[in-house]
Amino acid sequence: MTLSLNMILAVYALAGVAVLALTVFSKSHRTMNILSIVLPAVYLVLTLFTLTYGAIPTYSLGGNYFLIDHLSLYEIMICSFLFLLAALYSYGYIEGSIEIHEMDRSSLKLFYVAFNLLLMAITYAFFADNLALFWILAELTTAFSAVLIVIMNAPKNIGATLKYVFITSTCMLFSFIGLILIFTLTENNLGSGTLNWSTLMSVASTLSPGIMFAAFIFTFVGFAAKSGIVPFHAWLPSAHSKAPAPVSAILSGCVTSVGIYGIIRVYAIASQTSELPKISWFLIAFGLISMVVAALTMLNQVNLKKLIGYSTVENMGFLLVGLGLGTSLAIFWMLFYTLAHAFTKASLFFSAGILHHQYKSVRMEHIKNVFKFQPFAAWSLILGGVAIIGMPLSAIFLPKIEILLQSAELSPYLLLGLLTVFLFVAAGFGIFLIKLLSRKDEDAPGVKRYEASLGMKIPIVVLLIAVFALGVFFPQQLTDLLNSIVSELGIR
Amino acid sequence: MIIAPVENVAQILIVLILATAAVIIMKRDIRSLIKTYAFQSLLLAVMALLLFSATGSLTLLYLAIIIIVSKVLIIPRFMGIVAKRLNIKRDVKFHFLSPTTSLLASIVIILFVYLSFSSLLSELNRFNSSIFFLGATVGMSIVFMGMIVIFTRKQTITNIVGYLTMENGVVLFSLFLTELPLLIEVLIIVDLIMLTLIATILAFGIDSTIEEFHNRLNPFISPPKETPQKQSEDDEQ
Repeated sequence: MTLSLNMILAVYALAGVAVLALTVFSKSHRTMNILSIVLPAVYLVLTLFTLTYGAIPTYSLGGNYFLIDHLSLYEIMICSFLFLLAALYSYGYIEGSIEIHEMDRSSLKLFYVAFNLLLMAITYAFFADNLALFWILAELTTAFSAVLIVIMNAPKNIGATLKYVFITSTCMLFSFIGLILIFTLTENNLGSGTLNWSTLMSVASTLSPGIMFAAFIFTFVGFAAKSGIVPFHAWLPSAHSKAPAPVSAILSGCVTSVGIYGIIRVYAIASQTSELPKISWFLIAFGLISMVVAALTMLNQVNLKKLIGYSTVENMGFLLVGLGLGTSLAIFWMLFYTLAHAFTKASLFFSAGILHHQYKSVRMEHIKNVFKFQPFAAWSLILGGVAIIGMPLSAIFLPKIEILLQSAELSPYLLLGLLTVFLFVAAGFGIFLIKLLSRKDEDAPGVKRYEASLGMKIPIVVLLIAVFALGVFFPQQLTDLLNSIVSELGIR
Repeated sequence: MIIAPVENVAQILIVLILATAAVIIMKRDIRSLIKTYAFQSLLLAVMALLLFSATGSLTLLYLAIIIIVSKVLIIPRFMGIVAKRLNIKRDVKFHFLSPTTSLLASIVIILFVYLSFSSLLSELNRFNSSIFFLGATVGMSIVFMGMIVIFTRKQTITNIVGYLTMENGVVLFSLFLTELPLLIEVLIIVDLIMLTLIATILAFGIDSTIEEFHNRLNPFISPPKETPQKQSEDDEQ
């Protein structure tokens, strides 16, 4: 059975528009929440359906603006799953936020509209074949996620959002210059310029390596800023810590992977030129710098969500190192690492959200007696922390070891550097969690226990089960999927 | 093909646009900063119309219309309102570089861009046409000059002017590449995001540096909040 791409894209769009329209006309929080659970669920089913029955990769007719291949479906699957859980979590969390006057009930509609629009923008960004179209959709993800951060009633959120939009948009202009260079380059070679990824892939080996390298650097700047790579990371910790917890989870798991996805796509083109060694070292250098900076900053953090945010910077750096290594095995595990990181990080942010509502803050000095008030959040934080530093049995362990082995083949010093960074990260997480969870204040009077609803606990449980299940059991379907992505990216 | 007299006028326009970028780097007064930006955009629109008359490409006409509507009329008007409401008149203090040093730095940048473009891009046929090469070099330099403005100025409103200058550089770069897919859509999206940003600042009445600004103005009346309270640290890290 073959599905036409236009039909698939139309179904995605129709579902999105229908949910948006219903959200605009719905009155109660419950309805809006259920609608925003339905949309990612529909997307998840659609994606699985396309993956099973569609002839992939397929291209859209009429100008080749869209492309469905295994990589885009894989990323959409991760994102719609995270959105589904985040929406489930949102009801309890947002009700709590309204109770402590962090948010107005009147901005509920805006929140859910932006939430669904963000999912749509991310989905279509992953489907984009034309790099300029991808650029536009990536800019839109910035705009919609900015709305989700600024929605809280705090002046600091406005500052964090301004910083976020500013840094990413500034860097994205450089990406656009990179696209202009790619366009002129192909125009020179082919007669008529193109920005379609699939066309570019087929002519990549004939392109001039010097200019392609320059174009790669320019595009890298913008996409790196979107995924929080040092030195363009300044927005990430503040935006991630100021955003409401479900939004932080999405920012960390989905919006950053839009940037990494852009880098992967352009890397796939540039890696076919003779400048591949330079590009590899370029990526490894930026990855390593991000990891070092993040690890050192994590050591003396006092803010839980900022700690988790810096951990995102560190993990994005590690993804770049994996991409820079460039062997098919490294890319395979790097892609799996994206999934493992997104799930683990989301569970951490969800747990932090429960603590935030209990103590009205995520700063160390305000959090006391966690085991007494929030034993569930305490344990999920511990398990999430154990998973994120890559202990055995967690999903992050296997890809980490495999990428480390690959790095040892390139250079033992790189391995040494990476191991040192991981030591610091583990120490940072360990020290912080021990300090945080052991803070006691026996005679704290009048502290009321915050009851986290079931809807807030289920996503955490689901994510942690997924993370630890994937650590011990690797399904064959996933192996096949990742293998076909690697071969479609033309990695030798 | 672009004929000689048109090319001469275009060259003059490009140099004028570069000059306005230099003025943007030097100006401290917010009002004239915004006016200079509007003038720069107007020059860009004239340039687009000139190229339209020479090549007849409709994209250029649309570009000119968009530039005039958004960059010459709406955005500067809007920013003027923000500056008036928030009572920001001048940039008093700068990060890293003073305006004069910034100007010197941008001269170095122009030279650097020129040298790297002439060595790197010489293998592309397009860049052998002198007008295209000049446009690309100046466009790229203006992008970097706008970035200097963003780095060195402290107020969000001036940062926005810096960002918009960067965008003008990109537009100048792409004026000669009207076949670029989705060019107009890109410009519209960028302008809309910036407009929303300005509207947000206006709606919340908050310039992210306005507290700092007042502290600087009255250092003796209200001493800066440098207490070991974690508030400032919260923003730094």
